[in-house]
Amino acid sequence: MFKWEKLGKIFDPTTTVERPWLKEFSQAPATLIFNDFVRVYFSCRPPAANGQYVSYSAFVDLDRSDLTKILRVADEPILKLGGLGEFDEFGTYPVTVYRNHDEIVAYYAGWTRCESVPFNTAIGMAISKDNGKTFKKVGPGPVIPYSPDEPFVLSGPKIRFFNNKWYLFYIAGNKWVIDNNRPEPVYKIRSATSSDGINWTKTNKNLITNTIEENEAQASPDVFFSNGQYHMFFCYRYSLNYRGKDKGYRVGYAHSKDLVNWVREDEKVGIDISNSGWDCEMISYPHVFELDGSIYMFYLGNQVGRYGFGLAKLNGKL
Amino acid sequence: MKWKKLGKIFDPTEHKLPNNCVEYAQSPQVIVKDDFIRIYFSTRKIDPKNGKFLSHVSFVDVDKTFKNIIKTADETVIPLGKLGAFDEHGIFPINLLEHNDEIFAYTCGWNRRSSVSVDTGIGFARSFDGGLTFEKLGDGPILGPSINEPFLVGDAFVKKYNNIFHMWYMFGTKWQIYGDNTAPDRTYKIGHATSNDGINWCKEDGIQAVPDKLNPDESMALPTVVEHDSQYHMLFCYRESSDFRSVSSRGYRIGYAFSDDLIHWTRDDNKVGIDVSFDGWDSEMLCYPHLFKCDGKVYLLYNGNEFGRFGFGLAVLED
Repeated sequence: MFKWEKLGKIFDPTTTVERPWLKEFSQAPATLIFNDFVRVYFSCRPPAANGQYVSYSAFVDLDRSDLTKILRVADEPILKLGGLGEFDEFGTYPVTVYRNHDEIVAYYAGWTRCESVPFNTAIGMAISKDNGKTFKKVGPGPVIPYSPDEPFVLSGPKIRFFNNKWYLFYIAGNKWVIDNNRPEPVYKIRSATSSDGINWTKTNKNLITNTIEENEAQASPDVFFSNGQYHMFFCYRYSLNYRGKDKGYRVGYAHSKDLVNWVREDEKVGIDISNSGWDCEMISYPHVFELDGSIYMFYLGNQVGRYGFGLAKLNGKL
Repeated sequence: MKWKKLGKIFDPTEHKLPNNCVEYAQSPQVIVKDDFIRIYFSTRKIDPKNGKFLSHVSFVDVDKTFKNIIKTADETVIPLGKLGAFDEHGIFPINLLEHNDEIFAYTCGWNRRSSVSVDTGIGFARSFDGGLTFEKLGDGPILGPSINEPFLVGDAFVKKYNNIFHMWYMFGTKWQIYGDNTAPDRTYKIGHATSNDGINWCKEDGIQAVPDKLNPDESMALPTVVEHDSQYHMLFCYRESSDFRSVSSRGYRIGYAFSDDLIHWTRDDNKVGIDVSFDGWDSEMLCYPHLFKCDGKVYLLYNGNEFGRFGFGLAVLED
């Protein structure tokens, strides 16, 4: 089993000021490493209007030599919401970034609202030419298409570059189940590859087996290469009544030699909810990264990051 | 081109159709059989949950004089999609292509949105019983939004020429609110895609196959192509993007383009050879054209007033 040492909550969005669009939530942390700071992207929300949220993405810069020290918070969202009828009209969440020469490339899930189900999502692409402060969509539509076996709720992208190829790990919904009159999506971890980051070939299979139930929802497929194999940390939950401790998100683990065939071994994950405190009910949206010889994990705690994200440090190796 | 109108040939209100559909027979499209023509169309039922429409595919078989109806569909031709799917709230239209012993179907699935009324995607299905029923390939579309086609991908028309499948289809470019207290209206254009197997497609992504005539807010839909006299001919319908329901002159008319290579199209609506009638069922609007050949003649099926609420008619090309 891996040994993750929890370093506590790092960022609490409710403490920010003068940013009405950044009132609550800092979801799905994703890092971009600079010489003297670590930029952590996350997604946040202004207060709900008429019971409905929109989500923006932003960043917080942490001191590279002390990740508990906040240097600055984004002054504005990194990406505008989409126009009328576009896939990202009501939200941009989550976001994943990659430095490609002098540009930062982002993939993100855009949110639209529907009539019979509360929402749909699709994955868009955006590019930054100012070191990741602001991004511009490459076009009005999404970059990953819906397809016969990935009919809706494409989300949770994580962009990686391995063996001269782009890999996008993401989730795809396969059904909506009814929980107390509210449709809730079931989604599984999927992937696609690309030589240019724009045209993608889908693997078209569920990468991770289910453990708790057939309708288990899986998210945040965060892939990291170390020690000759690929490691995936992700989160999973029950399909119904999942907004509390018993059936809420936990972090799972799988490993692979080829990025296509994955062996799930949650018993090795080495991180769980705490007995008390900010992450005592659920942990989710892991993001693993290496910094100056150490391996860290950002993750969300209770209420899926409503009050911030925290950090853990790996003791030993993957 | 010179079309001779043969009049309205089918009125959905005169027949009992599956799924409690009562009005509309939109976008007629055919399979030509040995001794009859099967004409598919989209008809509507009222969604009991909210009083809105749900479009269902049905068909009518007519003999080759087009004067005698043999039968109408007596069961569901293709079911609507499941909760949250792209075709949950309707399939309209459906395009058919005979392929070996199967019939390929390209559907336009409808799903309702909250800030705008609807989005669409192109689905794929197959029939193994001669077109009575169809089985879908998965729950999702084979073509949907992409970087430069953000929404409203639909209205596929597929033909195989020189061993390549060609698809002309509609893609949305804009939703806009034109007046106070009016709902957003959409603008869409015609695109082109190619495929080796009819299932996996390469879109041109945001490139208009046919240029605008009216203005940038012109909407163009339902492309249909026929090869005739060593040239490819495309009909489609077009209209203004606002006030098109109530003002006849802003509503749908049929446009025309021709091509020698299936790629470059020259628009020349002056040659379309068909317009609204002085009175009768097609006096205010012409829409949803479908070209096909039968026994050496070229025919045009189309809808008239009220987007086909009371049926569709036929015209034949006169040489």
